[in-house]
Amino acid sequence: MSKKIGVYICSGCGIGDALDMSALAKVATKEYKAPVCKTDAFLCGKDGVEIIKKDVEGEGVNFVVIAGCSGRVNYDVFDFGPSVIVERVSLRERVVWTQESDDEDTQMMAEDYMRITLAKFKNLEAPEPYVGEDLSKGIMVVGGGLAGMTAALEAARAGYNVVLVEKEDALGGWLKKSYKIIPLNPPYADPEENNLDGLVKEIESSPNIKVYTSAAVEKTAGAPGMFDVAIRQGDSTAEERVGAIVLATGAVPYDAGKLEYLGYGISPNVVTQAQFEEIAMKGSIVRPSDGKAVQKVAFIQCAGSRDSEHLPYCSAACCVETIKQAMYVKGQNPEAAVYVFYKDIRSSGQYEHFYKNAQSQGVMFVKADITGVSDDGGNLSIEAQDLLMGSPTMADEIDMVVLANGMVPTTAFEDPALCGEAQAEAAAGTEAPAPAPSPIIKSNILNLQYRQGPELPSLKYGFPDSHFICFPYETRRTGIYAAGSVRRPMDMAQAAGDAAGAALKAIQCVEMTARGMAVHPRSGDLSFPEFQMTRCTQCKRCTEECPFGAINEDEKANPLPNPTRCRRCGTCMGACPERIISFKNYSVPMIGNMLKAVEVPEEDEEKPRVLIFACENDAIPALDMAGINRLSYSKWVRVIPVRCLGSLNLIWINDAMSRGIDGVLLMGCKHGDDYQCHFMKGSELAGIRLSKVSETLNRLGLESDRVFITEVSIMDYDKIPKIIGEFVDRIEEFGPNPMKGF
Amino acid sequence: MTDVNVSSTPVKYSTEFASEIYNLENGRYVKICMQCGMCALSCATREEMDYSPRKLFLLIRAGKREEVLKSNTMWMCSTCLMCKVRCPRGIPIVDVMHDMKCHAIMLGFTERPQATFYQAFWQEIMNRGRVFEGGLMARYYLKRGWSEIKKGFEMKDLGMNMMKHSRIPLKPPKGIKGLKGMKQIVERAQAQMHKGEGR
Repeated sequence: MSKKIGVYICSGCGIGDALDMSALAKVATKEYKAPVCKTDAFLCGKDGVEIIKKDVEGEGVNFVVIAGCSGRVNYDVFDFGPSVIVERVSLRERVVWTQESDDEDTQMMAEDYMRITLAKFKNLEAPEPYVGEDLSKGIMVVGGGLAGMTAALEAARAGYNVVLVEKEDALGGWLKKSYKIIPLNPPYADPEENNLDGLVKEIESSPNIKVYTSAAVEKTAGAPGMFDVAIRQGDSTAEERVGAIVLATGAVPYDAGKLEYLGYGISPNVVTQAQFEEIAMKGSIVRPSDGKAVQKVAFIQCAGSRDSEHLPYCSAACCVETIKQAMYVKGQNPEAAVYVFYKDIRSSGQYEHFYKNAQSQGVMFVKADITGVSDDGGNLSIEAQDLLMGSPTMADEIDMVVLANGMVPTTAFEDPALCGEAQAEAAAGTEAPAPAPSPIIKSNILNLQYRQGPELPSLKYGFPDSHFICFPYETRRTGIYAAGSVRRPMDMAQAAGDAAGAALKAIQCVEMTARGMAVHPRSGDLSFPEFQMTRCTQCKRCTEECPFGAINEDEKANPLPNPTRCRRCGTCMGACPERIISFKNYSVPMIGNMLKAVEVPEEDEEKPRVLIFACENDAIPALDMAGINRLSYSKWVRVIPVRCLGSLNLIWINDAMSRGIDGVLLMGCKHGDDYQCHFMKGSELAGIRLSKVSETLNRLGLESDRVFITEVSIMDYDKIPKIIGEFVDRIEEFGPNPMKGF
Repeated sequence: MTDVNVSSTPVKYSTEFASEIYNLENGRYVKICMQCGMCALSCATREEMDYSPRKLFLLIRAGKREEVLKSNTMWMCSTCLMCKVRCPRGIPIVDVMHDMKCHAIMLGFTERPQATFYQAFWQEIMNRGRVFEGGLMARYYLKRGWSEIKKGFEMKDLGMNMMKHSRIPLKPPKGIKGLKGMKQIVERAQAQMHKGEGR
């Protein structure tokens, strides 16, 4: 495809008043020999768009540069079909709205941005989608509890084939062990009947759902659109090809054996919530010790939860479950005394009605710290510190104590048959400054054939890692979505909603994969990394650093990319020391050309240049918002957007420094346990790479502080001028880069 | 704020006294209090109370009969309705306070001057169908006893001034027309209320 560039400069929104338009046009026509260059006062208007359309159709322009507003606005207006590549020069947000009008330096900045964008075209191709062979649009759901069954039904109703794998001999999970369930419908006041049979019947009668019971996933190989799963059922093994996977294996109660301090084990009358449910299912609530119908029951909330020695987190479902079980007791005998000892009642959302109803039935809620549970010859008594009365409290002659013992995700347990190896690996990787490998707990659930490990990486407490705010279902394995209490502790209503959400995500995944598009966060991106394998040195950095385990290894130890697993962040591209990984529309030489396009004034002109590599997810919007709010910042900076700071290749820093650029600022997202990075590890990896470059800079006689990494969230737009200002001040203190002019 | 620590022996949440309160006209609302403290925060006279409304409700549940009935909390309520407006559980706290006053008087917890005032006011109404300030004062002071009467005399200048400006009439007003009918209405209402109690 021959490239024909058309440059369109908009003078609207005050751009024309602040900048010299003809000088700007000259950059395009003289320096970059753009065959078409037009200026219009209202480019996003009907007539303006018509000018571009005419050129696309008549002149054969297929590379369109629009110099005007930011690429984050009007992207739908400037869409000329898939065969035309559109690039935007943000003159409005990044120049005119943040800099002085009619100023020599402002003009230089605008011209530099024009050069940066035009320099892109040398290494820019229209991406061609990768569509795998023999793609499946089926969805496998692992776990047949409430979340799993709901996900299977939702996907089946939408017309997708579903494979449902359950380890027990019948569907149901915890639902099967529940007498009644918490209300899922208005008025949310009383427990509802358990409709497990209805759900199972609907699954069995659905032609789209294939159920494997007493089954386990032995092996999951492949990638989204082409997962090859081996399902073991007894002695036989079935093979299935599916497009996406919903993980809904749920959670198990916290080991009550560790709750001796709350009386577990001192008497058969101290039971867990699950045991209480079993008792209730038998018909009447009686004491396990002697079968006496209960008169006085105490529930202890947060038994082991929100406790740094047990489960540090809130299990989210126990409060509502306790309210339900308290109502069982009141339903059996309205005169029975029911106490609930709590830290905080967390009956969120509609369950406030449920809580209120329990109170009006006479359930006594006591905010207290338990100090002791004792058995005084048959009856139990509880002593506690009442936090509202500010005095000790006690309840005696209790028939039964129920512990709300929280939940632990099924992914948190190492299968004893599989461990041993992991510790050795962890011990070996302690020398180099590398990111701590996210723990992959060998829980024997999915048994993925991924180089990085057989299960989903976890972040904390054994829950699968996902971007909690923006992409809650998306685990760090593309095409595998966690739903229900395996993702985070939740109650039944939330689990059902979660399942529907994850099913939709799985559907989105199989559909996007069939079109060769990225699923998320860069939804619809057609590009994917290509490896120039002849130059590969098998250093394995790409396979190690990919946050999504997209790159496997073939039998000759070469990296084996799986494009449908890829999220297109470019972390591999930044990691590769040989720079053999590139996208059609994003590559190391492309960014290299862009930064080389920045004009660096001579030392005696005293005009420093500072380059900013800014993450497209958060830092670029923050910069745009700074412009929208007319916050002015230093006129020496030039911003180059990157997909993720994880794609930062150190050669860019070298290039910038040897070109005489005085400083490089990296703007990424927050990392750590509550990270904001859409690609999980991007800014963390960039920071680690940077620690290696500082040594080189020092050797060259350059201050390593000329390169600085900072974390910016989208809400930090008001801090942008300060961040940039402080960095530029520091650079000015260092004085000009001695490499200038070489 | 005179928040007295109730006692150092462990609190036992018993239903005995609580159910006595729950059976009052608006008493059932005490059950659904979730102890958030919005009432205490909104109360105009909170500083004058022994216990905030929240704490009073807690004491009811904890079975602290004496503390509750002897406290001045309900008597200090100025019925400004801010708590009722703000309560997230929709508890008509003012109405509960009214029930508490009524209950306290019925059980003979009338040491509070406000209780005497309520009683004097009521007797005036039932006598004439309207209130005569002189009569109200007389009833109040006689009930409160000698020391209170002495205190009353200290305010004689104020009283004289008010009389001069016709704020306090010298002569009692005439009774209303149909006083007998009004009494019948009240009696029937009271009878119904007592029948309702024990719910």
